Amino acid sequence: MYKAVVIGGSAGSFQVITKILSSLPKNFPLPVLLCLHRLKHVRSGFVEALSIKSTIPIVEPYDKETIKPGKGYLAPSNYHMYVELNKRIALSTEEPVNHSRPSIDLTFETAAQAYRDKLIGIILSGANRDGAYGLKKLKHAGGLAIVQDPNECQVKTMTEASLKLTTVDHIFTTEQIINFLLNLK
Amino acid sequence: MILSDQEVHFFVNTIKNSSGYDFSEYSEKSLKRRLQKILIDNNSDLLGIINKIKTNKDFLEKTVKDITVNTTELFRDPQIWQTLKYRILPKFSENRNINIWHAGCSTGQEVYSMMILLNELGLFDKAKIFASDLNTDALDAAKKGNYKYRFNIGYLDNFDKVIKENPFNYEEYNDVPYSKYFKIDKVIDSIQMSDSLRQKPIFRQHDLVHGGDLYFAKFDLILCRNVIIYFKYSLQNKVFKLFHEHLYTNGYLVLGMHETMLGDITSRFDKQGQAYRKK
Repeated sequence: MYKAVVIGGSAGSFQVITKILSSLPKNFPLPVLLCLHRLKHVRSGFVEALSIKSTIPIVEPYDKETIKPGKGYLAPSNYHMYVELNKRIALSTEEPVNHSRPSIDLTFETAAQAYRDKLIGIILSGANRDGAYGLKKLKHAGGLAIVQDPNECQVKTMTEASLKLTTVDHIFTTEQIINFLLNLK
Repeated sequence: MILSDQEVHFFVNTIKNSSGYDFSEYSEKSLKRRLQKILIDNNSDLLGIINKIKTNKDFLEKTVKDITVNTTELFRDPQIWQTLKYRILPKFSENRNINIWHAGCSTGQEVYSMMILLNELGLFDKAKIFASDLNTDALDAAKKGNYKYRFNIGYLDNFDKVIKENPFNYEEYNDVPYSKYFKIDKVIDSIQMSDSLRQKPIFRQHDLVHGGDLYFAKFDLILCRNVIIYFKYSLQNKVFKLFHEHLYTNGYLVLGMHETMLGDITSRFDKQGQAYRKK
């Protein structure tokens, strides 16, 4: 019944996200939208690093690319990644939001507008507050909100900020997130 | 404050009826975001903005400038500059002239990057540089060639990658000093491009929505990066046709790292990464 998964992460999320992506079945039924902050000097090579472990193909999408199930879309370095209502990617170089470009808030908010209650949003480890507002918007639109267990996070600022702003559906460890995704029909 | 599609439509129509600017074929998502930002910055509701647009020409011009996105960096995306350096610009080295158009040049960092690269390749004198943007404030900044040091310090790495290093030969290193092209003053937080660079380009206001009316007839190279992401597919196609008309055969169009050409027009170009060669 869900149509897409959107995942936001920052400091300390790389290992978690690779673990998730390496555990998904090849025929995972949903698209996975990824908005991950990266250090300024590792702008390239990130998508390759994710692809090595991932069972589903991961791309840094082109502007206006159609979102397809079973594929991962990584917000390109230095661009915001939006989801248009027609389920296409839109990229933007507008100013950073809360010092972030890509901004997790913007990816989550626009994905929520496009997928409404058919969206699963997951906030992972991170050292800032990006994503908290976006997860609130997602929950407001009827989506399912999941936050990584702060006790498991390398840096808990981001997950704690999300939990403060939104009553989420699940607080999950990495293992539980994976099990949850594997049980999606 | 969430704007409806109708409200955005109303705004676009007001601008269109009050001026020569037409945003009706801009992507909705970013247009809506820009408009929302304008409402917040002006601490006003939509009707307030609309009334002011209708009665105050200066406010209309300012609003149009605020709608456009003006992100640009020195040597943004070094891979593209390496392609220009090693694969594209050398093809024009035997030309008598090289005509280059930066369409949507914003505050000019891309234009200066190009001139620096041309000079290093010994092609500066034969190049004619034409740079256009919708936003006249951005063009004024481009003409001045003065940038904040602290915002641009990170991009000096890109200068090193493109100008000093050779990705195909790690032993090669050209120790080109920054002072050859610009003066860095950390105390007053400034990067000032040299006069010899500043005097070269022809900067002009130009709206891609309206197409025609260009200074040069034809170009060898057109750069239009991170501009068409703000356009709907229909306007993108018009702009690609305009570029096609204004390119020499075998001339190149270079788009942004994550932009791509779609539709029938693609058959009239030979795609080589982010560069499209006119057939």
